[in-house]
Amino acid sequence: MAKNLSGDLQVASANRLVDGMVVWLDEAGQWTDRLEHAAVARDKRGAEILLERARAEAFTVVDPFLVAVTEDDDGTVEPLSLREKIRASGLTFEAIAADAVRNA
Amino acid sequence: MRCAMPDTHFYKYDDYDRTLVSERVDQFRDQVRCRLAGELTEEQFKPLRLHNGLYLQLHAYMLRIAIPYGTLSSRQLRKLADISRQYDRGYGHFTTRQNLQLNWIKLEEAPDALAALAEVDMHAMQTSGNCIRNVTADHYAGAAIDEIEDPRIWAEIVRQWSTLHPEFTFLPRKFKIAITGSPNDRAAVRVHDIGLRLWRNEQGEVGFEVIVGGGLGRTPMIGKTLRAFLPKDELLAYLESTLRVYNRYGRRDNLYKARIKILVHEVGVEKMRDEVEAEYAANRDGALRLPPATIEAIARQFAPPTLPPRLVISGDVEAQRLDDRDFALWLKSNVAPHRVPGYAIVTASLKPAGSPPGDASAAQMEGVADIAEAYSQAELRVSHEQNLIFPHVAVEDLPRVYRELAVLGFAEANVGKITDIIACPGLDYCALANARSIPVAQRISNHFASLARQHDIGDLKIKISGCINACGHHHVGHIGILGVDKNGVELYQISLGGDVDFGRTAIGSILGPAVTADKVVETVDAIVATYLEARREGERFVDTYRRIGAQPFKEKVYGSL
Ligand code: HEM
Ligand code: SF4
Repeated sequence: MAKNLSGDLQVASANRLVDGMVVWLDEAGQWTDRLEHAAVARDKRGAEILLERARAEAFTVVDPFLVAVTEDDDGTVEPLSLREKIRASGLTFEAIAADAVRNA
Repeated sequence: MRCAMPDTHFYKYDDYDRTLVSERVDQFRDQVRCRLAGELTEEQFKPLRLHNGLYLQLHAYMLRIAIPYGTLSSRQLRKLADISRQYDRGYGHFTTRQNLQLNWIKLEEAPDALAALAEVDMHAMQTSGNCIRNVTADHYAGAAIDEIEDPRIWAEIVRQWSTLHPEFTFLPRKFKIAITGSPNDRAAVRVHDIGLRLWRNEQGEVGFEVIVGGGLGRTPMIGKTLRAFLPKDELLAYLESTLRVYNRYGRRDNLYKARIKILVHEVGVEKMRDEVEAEYAANRDGALRLPPATIEAIARQFAPPTLPPRLVISGDVEAQRLDDRDFALWLKSNVAPHRVPGYAIVTASLKPAGSPPGDASAAQMEGVADIAEAYSQAELRVSHEQNLIFPHVAVEDLPRVYRELAVLGFAEANVGKITDIIACPGLDYCALANARSIPVAQRISNHFASLARQHDIGDLKIKISGCINACGHHHVGHIGILGVDKNGVELYQISLGGDVDFGRTAIGSILGPAVTADKVVETVDAIVATYLEARREGERFVDTYRRIGAQPFKEKVYGSL
C-alpha cells in the first residue's frame, strides 16, 4: 500500500483564513479544498519550490506547510500521517446533527 | 471593586461588565477586519484571536466560550444553541474546564458569534493565553447538601479581580484556579495551579485551605497546602501575593517548566510559603482586604432561590422505582441529595452509549433549557465531568424530568460509572494531538452499555487524553488512557489508580507497554475482570487496586494479549 514512506512526495497544505477549512495548493497556485487537485512535489527540490510558492500565496491562508503523501497507480494521493488523513477526510466518527434529539 | 448589584439568586452582570464585553467585541471585529484585509499578519493577529477564545484547530476555528464557575441560565443555554446553529454545525462540546467549545466557527463570523454571546452576558475571555483562566467551581454549588458555603461567591470575587488584571495578563504560563465549598471535593482542587477549599475550623470560622502547585499535563503534580486556614476576607490579598511570587520566580525560559507546579516543586512548598507570606505581610491590609459589605453584595447574587415546600417522599417516585429498573438505577447514580428537603440535584448524562462524551446538539441544548425552566428554576450547571446539572428539582418531579431527559437521550443512568467517560477532542479536532480520544471513548461506551453491568461494576472513572497535555485528565482517572504516537501508529498507554477525591488524590501509575487502538476495549475488559474477581464487599475499583496493587492487573492484561 504505502509507497514512498520516505515522504518524497509532498503537497502543500494550510487552513483557509476566512473559515479555517483545510486547503491544498494546486498546479495553478490556487488554494483548493480538494486534495485530488493538489500539486504534488516529487523530490526535495520540488518540495522546496512548492513550499515557497505556497508561502507566496499565503494571503488567504494560515501557515502553509508540506504534507508527505503517497500516490496510487491511478494517481490518487493520500497523506501518510493519520493527522493529515483526518485533516483531509474529516472526523472519523459521526458528529451529532443539529436537530438530533437523541445522539446514540 | 464594583458591587452595587441588584439582589437576585443569579449573578447579574453590571454595566461595567457589559461595557467591557461589548468594547471587546467591537475591538475584535475591527481586528478581524484588518486581518482579512491583510493589514495584520497571522503572527500579529494570533494573540488577538486567542485573547478572544478563538483557536485554529485541524479543520476549522474553534471558539472556547467561558461558563464562569459552570453556572448557566436556561436563557444562556438557548442562546448557545442558537449560536451553534447559526455560526457552527449545530452542536457543541462541554469541556472539563466548564467551557463550551464550538468546533466549526468561521473567522469572518466570529465577531457576530461573540456579539450574540454578549447579548446573554457571555464571552470567551480568559479561555486562552497566559492569564488567570476561567475559575471553576463545584458543579453542585448552591445546592449540595454537604456545602459549607457557596464557592461561586468566591469564584466571582476572583473573576472580578483577575479579569484583565494588568499585572497578571502575561504570566509565565496559564493559571487555573478551582474552588470547592464542600468537604467532598467535586472541583478537583488538588490538581489546579491554585485550589481553594472552604472549611470550618474548630472555632467555627469558615476559611480557605489554599493549595498550590497542582496540575496535570506533561508533569502531573498534586497540589500542596500553602496555607491551612486563610480567613475569607484575606483571599484576594493572599492570591495576589502568591501570583506575585510566581510572576517573579516562575520560569519563562522553558514552556514546559513555566507552570507554578514546577516552581513549587523546584523550591519546595516551605520556601514558597516563606516567600508568599513575606510578600503577604507587606500587602495584607491593603486595598485588597475585602470589606464585609462587598462580600455580602456578591453573596446576594448567589442567594438561594426560594423553593416552595414540596413532598419529601413522593408516591409516584416510589412506585416507579419499584416498577422500572432503569429509573431505579437512574435515581441511584444521577440524582443527588439537595440541601432543601423535597428537592434533589439531577445530572443529565451527556454520555449516552456510543456518543462523543460531552457533545450536545442544538436541539438537545434547547431540550435541556426547557427542562430547566419547567423543573429547575431555569438554572443549570456544567460539570468538569462534561455533564449538565439541574440543581433544584423537586423530588415529585423526578419521573417527569427522567422521561423528558430520556427523550433527549440524556437519561442514561451512568453518572460516575464506567461509561461516564471524560475525553478530550483528540486527533479528530486538536492540532496538538497524537491520537484520537473520542472513537476510543465510543468503543468503550458501547462495550459496557448494559446498565445492570455498569452498576455492578460500580464507580469507575475512565479519562482519556489524546496527548500528554492531559486535557482529558487521564492522570487522575481510575483508569487513565493516554494516546501516543509511535511511528505513525496510535497507541494507548493505560494507567491505573488515579483519583481526584479529596484526601485520596493520586496520579495513576502506568500499567505496562501501550496497546494498539483495537486492543483498548479488551484491555479495559481485562482490568475490570481482575477487579471483579478480587473485590471485597463495598470496595470500589480504585480501592481494590490500592489493596492488591498493579501485578494482578498486569498479569491479566499482558498475559491475555
Ligand atoms: C482543542 C484545543 C485544545 C488545546 C490546543 C489545548 C491545549 C492544552 C495545552 C497545551 C495544555 C498543557 C498546558 C500546560 O501543561 O502548560 C492543556 C492542558 C489542559 N487542558 Fe487543554 N487544550 C485543548 C482543549 C481542551 C479541552 C477540550 C479541555 C477540556 C475537555 C481542556 C482542558 C485542559 C485541562 C483540564 C488541562 C490540564 C491540566 C493543567 O493545565 O494542568 N483542553 N491544554
Ligand atoms: S490532551 Fe492533547 S489532544 Fe487532547 S485536547 Fe489537549 S492538547 Fe488536544
